[in-house]
Amino acid sequence: MTTPVTTPAPRVDRAQYGLAALLAVVGVYTIVDARGLNVGFGDPIGPRVFPYVIGAVMILLAVLLAVATSRGDVPEAEAGEDVDLTVRADWLTVGKLVGVMVLNLLFINLLGWAITGALLFAGCAWSLGSRTLVRDLIVGAVMSVSSWYFFWVVLDVPLSPGILDGIL
Amino acid sequence: MDTLNLLLDGFSNALTPQNLLYACIGVLLGTFVGVLPGIGPAMTVALLLPITYGLDATQSFIMFAGILYGGMYGGSTTSILLNTPGESSSVMTAIEGNKMAKAGRGAQALATAAIGSFIAGTIGTLLVAFFTPAIAEQAVKIGAASYFAIMLLSVVLVTSVLGESKLRGFIGLFIGLTIGLVGLDLSTGQPRLTAGMLELADGIDIVVVAVGVFAIGEALWTAAHLRRRPIEVIPVGQPFMRRDDWRRSWGPWLRGTAIGFPFGAVPAGGAETPTFLSYVLERRLQKPGKDQEQFGEGAIEGVAGPEAANNASAAGMFVPLLALGLPVTATAAVIIAAMRTYGIQPGPTLMADQPELVWTLLASLLIGNTLLLVINLPLAPLWARLLQIPRPQLYAGILFFASLGAYSVNQDPYDLALLLVFGGVGFAIRRFGIPVLPLILGVILGPLMEQKMREALDLSNGDISGLFNEPLAVFVYVLIVLVVVAPYVLGFIRSRRSAP
Amino acid sequence: MTVVIGYVPNQYGEAALHLGLQEAASRQLRVIVVNASRGDAFVDKKFVTEQALRDLDERLTATGVDHRVHQSAGVDVGDEIVRVAEQNHAELVVIGIRPRSPVGKVLMGSVAQTVIMDAPCPVLTVRPDVL
Repeated sequence: MTTPVTTPAPRVDRAQYGLAALLAVVGVYTIVDARGLNVGFGDPIGPRVFPYVIGAVMILLAVLLAVATSRGDVPEAEAGEDVDLTVRADWLTVGKLVGVMVLNLLFINLLGWAITGALLFAGCAWSLGSRTLVRDLIVGAVMSVSSWYFFWVVLDVPLSPGILDGIL
Repeated sequence: MDTLNLLLDGFSNALTPQNLLYACIGVLLGTFVGVLPGIGPAMTVALLLPITYGLDATQSFIMFAGILYGGMYGGSTTSILLNTPGESSSVMTAIEGNKMAKAGRGAQALATAAIGSFIAGTIGTLLVAFFTPAIAEQAVKIGAASYFAIMLLSVVLVTSVLGESKLRGFIGLFIGLTIGLVGLDLSTGQPRLTAGMLELADGIDIVVVAVGVFAIGEALWTAAHLRRRPIEVIPVGQPFMRRDDWRRSWGPWLRGTAIGFPFGAVPAGGAETPTFLSYVLERRLQKPGKDQEQFGEGAIEGVAGPEAANNASAAGMFVPLLALGLPVTATAAVIIAAMRTYGIQPGPTLMADQPELVWTLLASLLIGNTLLLVINLPLAPLWARLLQIPRPQLYAGILFFASLGAYSVNQDPYDLALLLVFGGVGFAIRRFGIPVLPLILGVILGPLMEQKMREALDLSNGDISGLFNEPLAVFVYVLIVLVVVAPYVLGFIRSRRSAP
Repeated sequence: MTVVIGYVPNQYGEAALHLGLQEAASRQLRVIVVNASRGDAFVDKKFVTEQALRDLDERLTATGVDHRVHQSAGVDVGDEIVRVAEQNHAELVVIGIRPRSPVGKVLMGSVAQTVIMDAPCPVLTVRPDVL
């Protein structure tokens, strides 16, 4: 694999420092959180030991990662059938997808799965570059309404009907 | 003989018309999702988990058996037709399979893959049925200290043997262990790592973690790097095999099964190594000259062997899963998650506590395997057409079903938020090259390891010797040290030798 | 001057190719054959494979006409045809069309519509059954 972008020889993946910092914070939080636990009477071990170990090792791993990064260690990002690692990460698309999913979780109880599910499908397809919006909306509606009925009739699980309560 | 009777009982439980219907639905859904590019067996099972919620345990396992085998067969279909293996275990299949397909022998490649998978799956499942009870019988006697040591061994193996970077493997493992900590401490009832959120007190649903990391993470990662170029389409006819194909296939099927099963049964064995070994073996076994030259040009042996090895190792993973409660692959981890939603805790006592369930599961695996062959051979051309689904709609569909699955657990938007968070985690670990398997193992085994550790130390009244007072435990710790240290020692010796 | 032919490997593309070559011969025009795909599906039957592309090129060479075959992926097919036509100051664009109901057009979109509306020159459309 050749790197497509022109980078000077010793490449440092700065984002890995961020990951190391995040892991260290998680490790510290795990330990701090565990300090607040009470060890019961006659309980020789208690609920603290395991989190202590995990938190401590996490901090150690964070340090090791930071050291490895400064020595020029770069991650091997995951490849896949549909993944083209030669192009730059497309943050706009990811942002749109996350936005659509956030809207879904905000409105699902109000509008009901039958509506938000359809919008979720069409919205995600649109974010990913589909230009057949009408078709996606219809496909999404068919999928969400039929999945609502599938859960209701076959599995006996009522998903939220939302504003369509009584219509579905 | 006892085993056979128990298995027959399992069949009588599984073989009702209604259950057969669920098995059929499972096979069809599993293949449907498995054929879609970019979706491996673990993600297939995770995505389809929620649709089994309304069923009772037996029925859902029957459906699972179908989904599992369908998902695996779907994966090899994609790799043969497109030369784009969905996961590392299909790489070897893709090499010869795609060459065969390009030479107009795609139908034969699909047929030898399907029949080989069937044979390997059947033999493998029978081996599971004969081995598991014996192992479980021994495993019940294992004390807490040894059980802890064995779990430690398997996470260390998975973390340090697989993958390029051990550091990243351990980072994945400890992220998983941290996620596993969230929730109430089982023995004292105090909340840990919940940040005061009531919803987190119950712990994080493993289904949400699996779907988030596998499905959402994968979809977001792919969205950020979407490939925009179609691939050459290869037409598929009805799969059939000529007499010559049969003659060349049966040897590789059996040898592949023999290689794949033991690898599946041990932690960190996986399907990658045995498929590779099977490929190399079949290549070696060819007569030098014309036959050997066929390898690389579409030799049917190169599809038959690795495919059988792949499926046999998938069957092998049920030995540690059912006998010890140890998941050794991502798919096994998702299956354990599924069992937990039914309140079933896989472990050494499972065989003794719920024999009916285990034997029904084994019988359903055999049924699912057979149905796969019956249903999928005629349907191959239809599955191939699924590859025309445009990527935007495909990944939109994945996000749709992942959200549906997470939401249907409790009908709480909170789970959707959690799903998105773990989608973010899944995205990040792909970005930083952190392997998924140690993370999922950490989530599943973490709480169990803590429980066993505390049991062992309670007995010794807090003295650290409680972890070492069983011979088996000591033996396993020695193994762990060997596994971790051996590569360095070997490397050291080698460098000394090569030095002048 | 050139004629741009929108080509897909099926009867519609063949009809366009047939008519386009006729026009090119009678008007003494150069030919550019365009094949494109949005490239969002794993498999797109309308995308010409490498082998078929070479065959197509040979076929055109056999007719003796001055030609070029242009292929691109990851673009809107209609836009791409228009773009090639503009770039080469095409005198004519030839495309094959299929019968489609108004609803079908809303659902599936229409390459032909994009080309007819946006092309910088006259567009000749043909259904295979009228040839």
